[in-house]
Amino acid sequence: MENSLLLQPMVALILWTMLIWLWMYVTRIPAMNKAKIDSANLVGGKGGDLDELLPPEVQWKAHNYNHLLTEPTLFYAICVVLILSGQDYGLNLTIAWVYVGLRVLHSLVQVTINRVLFRFMLFSLSSLCIIALAIHAAIAVFH
Amino acid sequence: MDIAILAPAAVLIVWSLIMLFWMAATRFPAMAKSGADLAKAPPGGRGSDLEGVIPDKVNWKSHNYTHLMEQPTLFYATVVILALVNAGHGLNLYLAWAYAIIRIIHSIWQATVNLVNVRFMLFIASTVCLLIMATNALWATLF
Repeated sequence: MENSLLLQPMVALILWTMLIWLWMYVTRIPAMNKAKIDSANLVGGKGGDLDELLPPEVQWKAHNYNHLLTEPTLFYAICVVLILSGQDYGLNLTIAWVYVGLRVLHSLVQVTINRVLFRFMLFSLSSLCIIALAIHAAIAVFH
Repeated sequence: MDIAILAPAAVLIVWSLIMLFWMAATRFPAMAKSGADLAKAPPGGRGSDLEGVIPDKVNWKSHNYTHLMEQPTLFYATVVILALVNAGHGLNLYLAWAYAIIRIIHSIWQATVNLVNVRFMLFIASTVCLLIMATNALWATLF
């Protein structure tokens, strides 16, 4: 089978997530050293515990990384449904790229200025893309 | 379609459910011991409200279960992409097995000893596997 073009936005968002993962550690590890956290003997604990110890801008990277592992999981599932049902071209392909573009912008806002209003607007717009894709997927599999 | 690479994904899904049972099997007795009563719990409580209420070691299982619902979702998407583009063999297949196995070791570590620096190393090792798979997926879908 010819590779579906819809696989491209999926992979793009996966790699973007890993880039935010890298951004998280590049800022987190120096901040942990600066906060004098004895990581050699640290037992237990979660990344979220660092919210109380590290500067907010550093944790914003982690917040966004976590965020990228919540709603986008639906995006991946819907893309697979669209590919397997042969609806992986045209408008759906455009919407998928728009979703990825909006999520990249959302990441950039959250890890830098993090104005909640902008973040919310970008998140709402990207969610509309998910809703549209999900409706198309529903039509494809139930119709 | 390269079916073989779906096996490590299925293994990790089953492992995640084993962690769910491990979490439940330790959490409920610990809740009973701490005097928490599910029947009398106020509405809206969540698992994380048990932090500090039941022993940390019990909560570690839950931390890991949550962890398994994060980055592995990218792993599943990447595996499906690689399977669909017939790239689920050779190095990608080995990396997928390595990812699943390292994540299982990471789980056992987090649920028992949980020294953070070792946990971090295991997480980095599994992430490197995923990063290479994701890059290969990008390569396979773009060209």
